[in-house]
Amino acid sequence: MSLRRRTLLKVIVLGDSGVGKTSLMNQYVHKKFSQQYKATIGADFVTKELQIDDRLVTLQIWDTAGQERFQSLGVAFYRGADCCVLVYDVNVMKSFDTLENWHEEFLKQANPPDPRAFPFILLGNKIDIDGGNSRVVSEKKAKDWCASKGNIPYFETSAKEDYNVDAAFLCIAKAALANEHEQDIYFQGIPEAAVPENEQRGGCAC
Amino acid sequence: MKGVFSAPGDYVHFKSQVPLHKIPIGTNQWRFYDFGPKAVPPLICLPGTAGTADVYYKQIMSLSMKGYRVISVDIPRVWNNTEWIQAFEKFLDAIDVHHIHLYGTSLGGFLAQLFAQHRPRRVRSLVLSNTFLETRSFSAAMPWAPIVSWTPSFLLKRYVLTGIRDGPHEPFIADSVDFVVSQVETLSREDLASRLSLTTDDASVGSLLLSDSFITIMDTNDYCAIPQQLKDQLGERYPEARRAYLKTGGDFPFLSRPDEVNLHLQLHLRRVGVEARPDLVHNIPKGDLGGSPSKENNGDDSDNSRKDDRGGSENPPAEYEINPTSPESSGSGNLDKQPLDSSECCHLDHELTLTLYDFPGGFTRETYIVPPATPVHFMWEYILFHLLRYISSLYIVWNYSLEFRQVV
Repeated sequence: MSLRRRTLLKVIVLGDSGVGKTSLMNQYVHKKFSQQYKATIGADFVTKELQIDDRLVTLQIWDTAGQERFQSLGVAFYRGADCCVLVYDVNVMKSFDTLENWHEEFLKQANPPDPRAFPFILLGNKIDIDGGNSRVVSEKKAKDWCASKGNIPYFETSAKEDYNVDAAFLCIAKAALANEHEQDIYFQGIPEAAVPENEQRGGCAC
Repeated sequence: MKGVFSAPGDYVHFKSQVPLHKIPIGTNQWRFYDFGPKAVPPLICLPGTAGTADVYYKQIMSLSMKGYRVISVDIPRVWNNTEWIQAFEKFLDAIDVHHIHLYGTSLGGFLAQLFAQHRPRRVRSLVLSNTFLETRSFSAAMPWAPIVSWTPSFLLKRYVLTGIRDGPHEPFIADSVDFVVSQVETLSREDLASRLSLTTDDASVGSLLLSDSFITIMDTNDYCAIPQQLKDQLGERYPEARRAYLKTGGDFPFLSRPDEVNLHLQLHLRRVGVEARPDLVHNIPKGDLGGSPSKENNGDDSDNSRKDDRGGSENPPAEYEINPTSPESSGSGNLDKQPLDSSECCHLDHELTLTLYDFPGGFTRETYIVPPATPVHFMWEYILFHLLRYISSLYIVWNYSLEFRQVV
């Protein structure tokens, strides 16, 4: 039997529709970029193996459809996430404004044991467009937001030009690896759930 | 009420909704479920040694609701791989299915690959879970394979069951183990003997015509009975296959992590071009399969949607849900109770349907260690078995099973 067990890290990419989530993943994993926009249906994932220090790590990167209602994806999608990547388009203000919602919704859905310590990463994508002239969200503004969320790392990327993509994902992998907790997610909350079962489910939403 | 296995609620519901088919084909009796719109090319689930068609009930329920056709079968009583390929082909002909997608776990995954190798035109895609490419290591681990066909049932069962990892499990895995153990109890001596023969019949999967892009590998990353080395070997054979690894789930992720497995199966089917037909879903119970009356169905719907509301935070309705009678939602109600039940069953200390009876320790120890390549000892056990028949209740001392663990 082989002794090493591969480390599997689950990364979830969230952000408004059209900000380039799928493109970033494709650029990172397949080194391809397509100008054509194709909406993601529901959810999908890609995997990438990489070596961090001495560990062989498999990243399972989950892509979501930005335009879908968040709740519709199901708990299976978020279960066991090790890192959440938020993506916005530096040329579209609205995609930056909604980051707050994505951040909140992720925590609500994935329900990590320590929400404040859970690793997020912010990517400002499409910095190549129009040589940066159509940009509406400044780097400072983005960094301020990151600081307000507990200093989450920030990267400016271009999936098209393959700018900063590898660096961003390496940072993501490291953050996920650092977060990888031994405790089993399925054990969580069991002692409580066993006792005050009724209270927990109490608020009947009719 | 320790150790008494009670069927999970969603399984009871499944049994009330989905008819079991039993048809004789050639010399084989086929036992299977076939549910979901007939117009869709089916996903056929092939279980491992310690499984039956029933172990995939969570997949059948969930995917059929979403408009997929799911068939799951018991591995028939065949004794070698050629026989398997022929028997399975006849089965497909009999149920009038031509192009198939196979989801095989453990032994089932091996058989799926063999079928894909020898009948390349029928197999459109493969989902392989915790499985292997060749049987050599299993036959090496089971030197008594040649006499498997006359080994008494209780020994075969024990052999199969000791391959399942025991010890403390988290509740969902513990429940999955319980369910599988209860299924093993339903298997006859011949069923078990034939499966063990298949596992040890020297064979290996040759190269497939199927392109890697039509293969998904869905291994669990925590542990399973198949040695990592064999799983790695399989991964290397299909380098371009999609890796849908699950972080945890143990040996039976289809039971312990049904929503994740179902999501991956759905993504796989979408990728290989199987279009679900949710529009046809509501006709199924009334139409060809003659399920339960729709009245009952409606009652269940309202029941489950109520449960859904309560368990909302845990179990948001999935986007594709057409019908609130999804197994996940009906499961969520039961799951609340699970931690209580499971903690009792965590150690695989099932009494099963066998009644307990105490042996002197040394005696059983002698019995349960099957020494490699010594038929004499084996005869011993055989004689013992006959003795046991005079004792009204049979007995298995699980404490000793620790010493003798084999790969299923």
